[in-house]
Amino acid sequence: MNGFQQVAAAIYLASGLGALLGLALPAIRLRHAAAWGLSLGVVIQAVALAQLHTQDPVPSLADLPYAISFTAWIAVIALLMLMWRFRLAGLAAAIGPIAFLALLLPSLGSLPGGESALSESGPVPHAHVLLSAAGLGLLGISGLSGAFYLLEHRWIKKKRVLHLGSMLPSLEALDRVNVATLAMGFPLLTLGLITGSLWIEVDADPLSMSARHAHWTLIAWGIYAGLAAARFMGRQSARQAAATAVGGFVFLLFAVVGVEVLT
Amino acid sequence: MKILLVGMSHRTAPVEVRERYAVGSEKAIAALGKLLEHPEIGEGVLISTCNRVEVVVTTEECGEADPLLRRFFHTQLGGQVEPSGADALDEHLYAYSDREAIRHVFRVAASIDSMVVGEPQILGQMKEAYRNAAESRSCGPILSRLFQRAFATAKRVKNETRIAERPVSVARVAVDLASQIFENLAEKKALMIGAGEMIEMALFALQREGLAGLRVINRTPAKAEALAAQFEASAHGLDQLDEVLLDSDIVLSCIAAEEPILGADAMSSVLKLRRNRPVFLIDIGVPRNIAAEVDGLDNAYLYDIDDLQEVAASNEEERHRESLGAERIVLEEEERLAGWMVGLGAVPTIRHLRARAEFVREREIRRLFSRVDLSQEQRKGVDALTRAIINKILHSPLARLRALDEHEEGLAVLKEARALFGLDDPNAPGAEVDSELALPEAPPDSLGRSDSSENGNS
Repeated sequence: MNGFQQVAAAIYLASGLGALLGLALPAIRLRHAAAWGLSLGVVIQAVALAQLHTQDPVPSLADLPYAISFTAWIAVIALLMLMWRFRLAGLAAAIGPIAFLALLLPSLGSLPGGESALSESGPVPHAHVLLSAAGLGLLGISGLSGAFYLLEHRWIKKKRVLHLGSMLPSLEALDRVNVATLAMGFPLLTLGLITGSLWIEVDADPLSMSARHAHWTLIAWGIYAGLAAARFMGRQSARQAAATAVGGFVFLLFAVVGVEVLT
Repeated sequence: MKILLVGMSHRTAPVEVRERYAVGSEKAIAALGKLLEHPEIGEGVLISTCNRVEVVVTTEECGEADPLLRRFFHTQLGGQVEPSGADALDEHLYAYSDREAIRHVFRVAASIDSMVVGEPQILGQMKEAYRNAAESRSCGPILSRLFQRAFATAKRVKNETRIAERPVSVARVAVDLASQIFENLAEKKALMIGAGEMIEMALFALQREGLAGLRVINRTPAKAEALAAQFEASAHGLDQLDEVLLDSDIVLSCIAAEEPILGADAMSSVLKLRRNRPVFLIDIGVPRNIAAEVDGLDNAYLYDIDDLQEVAASNEEERHRESLGAERIVLEEEERLAGWMVGLGAVPTIRHLRARAEFVREREIRRLFSRVDLSQEQRKGVDALTRAIINKILHSPLARLRALDEHEEGLAVLKEARALFGLDDPNAPGAEVDSELALPEAPPDSLGRSDSSENGNS
C-alpha cells in the first residue's frame, strides 16, 4: 500500500464518518463536505493507481487485493455520479468505511495474489479484471442501495421514519439507483465473464482454482440474469428487487472473492 | 353549580377506541338533547374530533353526574357497544371538575393538549361543538362563558406566544413523510378524499410543494368542485375512486364514513395496475377511512391519525418552551373564570341574605305593630326607617360580595360571609324563610369540593 493509497483510505473513512455525523446532527454542510471528501479520495486513489505503474516490477491488477481496491474506486465514482441526481447522503456514510477497508486489504496481506490463480497473458486479463471490477463495483452499489431500501422500508412501515428526518435517501431514489446500477453493472459483469472465459485455459481438472472461480461466477451471473429479467419485465416490486440485489451481491462477492479466499 | 368534564383523548385511548365514540354534528346535537333530559345536568357541550371525545356539563353534584356521563358515553355515543378487557371504557376516560375542567378546556382550545401542539384545527372544531350546543339549546350562561373565555385564551396564546408560528399540521407532516418515500414531489400527483377543513389545509401545503396534479374526491361532487377550484385541482365523485387512485401517488383521506372506503383487496388491485409503483396513504378520518390491512401491502405506506403522534413527540421538546408561556396564559384565564364563577355563586348568597334580613325586619315590625297602636302615617315611617337601617347595614357587605367577581380570594370571602351571617345555620334568626327560597348551597372550595358540613350547624 503506497502513501497515496493510505491517504485516500483515510479520506474515505473521514468522509464516511463525516456523512454519518451530518445525518445524525443533522448538518447539511457536513454532508456536502463528505461528498467533496469522497471526490478528493477518488482523485488521490487515481494517483495511487497510476503510481503503481512506476513500480518495478509493476504489480498486477489481477492481484486480488488490487482488484478489490479498484472495485471500490469504481463504486465510489459511481456513487458520486448518482449523488448529482439523488439525495444519497446515507449511502455516502456507508461507502466511505467500505472503501477504506477495501484499500486497507492490500496492506494486510491476507488475500491470495492473482498470479497464483490466473496466469497473465496480454490485454485480455486486464480487460477481464477491469470489466469485472467495474461490474462488481456497480452491483455493489446496487446491493448497498437494496440494503438501505429494505432498512428504510422497514422503518417507514414501523412508523419510525420521523426520528431520522428527511436526510436519508428516499425509497424512490434507492430504487432508481438499484435499477440504474443493475442496468450498467450487469452488462459489465457479462463482458467480464466473456473476457474471463477467453483468458483462462480451461483446465481439465474441474476442481482447479480457475474452474471453481468460473463456475461460481457463472452461477452468480445466472442469478443476476434472472434478477435483471424480472426487474425490467416489471414482475418485481421494489422491495423484492432490493432483497434480491442484496442476496445477489453477497453471492457474487463469494464467487469472486470468497472462493479464492476459502479455497 | 359546578363544571364537570368527562372524556377520552389521544393520550388515553387509541384510535380504535376513539372511533367508536366519535360522532358527527347531527348525532352530537341529538345526544346532547338526551343528556339534558337528566335533572342532574344543567348545561352540556359535546366535543368530538379525531383526537378527542369530551362532554362538558354543569351540575349541582359531580358525584352523581360523573357516572351518568360515563353511561352517556356507553349508551349514546358508543351505541351500547360495551368494550371489554383492555378496551374497557373506564380505562380510557378521564374526569375533571371545576378548576381542573376549566383549565383543561382552555388547554384544549389553546392547542396545548393537542396531538400536534399548536395546530389550529382544534379551535375551529371547538367552535363547531359550541355552535352545536347552542343550536340544541344545551349551552347556558356558564358554559357559554367558559367557551367564550376558552376562545379568548386561544387567541391570547396565539398572539402572545410563538406556539402557532411553528405549527406541525397534518398536511405538513404528510409532505415530510412523502419526501421519505418519493424523491421529487413535483413529479407526483395527490388525491384528497373529503372536502373539509383538514383537506383544505392539506391542499394548501401540497400546492406549495408544486405537485404535478391535485385531485379532490368527495361524496358530494359540488363540494369537491368548490374546493378544487380554489387549488387548481380536479374534482371527482366518490364513485371514481378506483380510477383516480391509479395514478395518484399521495392519498390523504378525511371523510365521514362508518366503514372504510378503501379495502386491502381494492388497493392490491390498484397496485398491480400501477405496476407496483408505491402509494403513500394518510388516513386522518375517524372512524378510519382506509382499512388497516392496506399497510400490509408491499408498496402501500399507510399512516393513520395515531401514527402522526410520532411527529408530535419528535417536536415536543422544541415546542416545550413556547407551551410554557401558553400554560401561564391558561392559568391567568383560569383564575379569571374561576373568579367569575365565584361571583356567580355570590348572587344567590346576596339574595339569601337580603331575604333573611327582610324576613326578620317584617317579623319584628309585625310584632311591634301588634303591641303598639300607631297611625297609618307612623307605620309607614317605621317601615321606611327599618328598611333604611337594613339597607345601610347590608350595603357594605353586599357591595363586597358583588365585587367578588374575578378575585381568587372571593371564594373564601363568600364562605366567611355565609358563616358570619349564619346563612347555612337553620337556627339563625330568619332561617324560617329558607324553606320558601330556592336555597343556594355552600360554595365549593377552590378544588371544587363542597363542604357544607363545615359551615353547617356551627
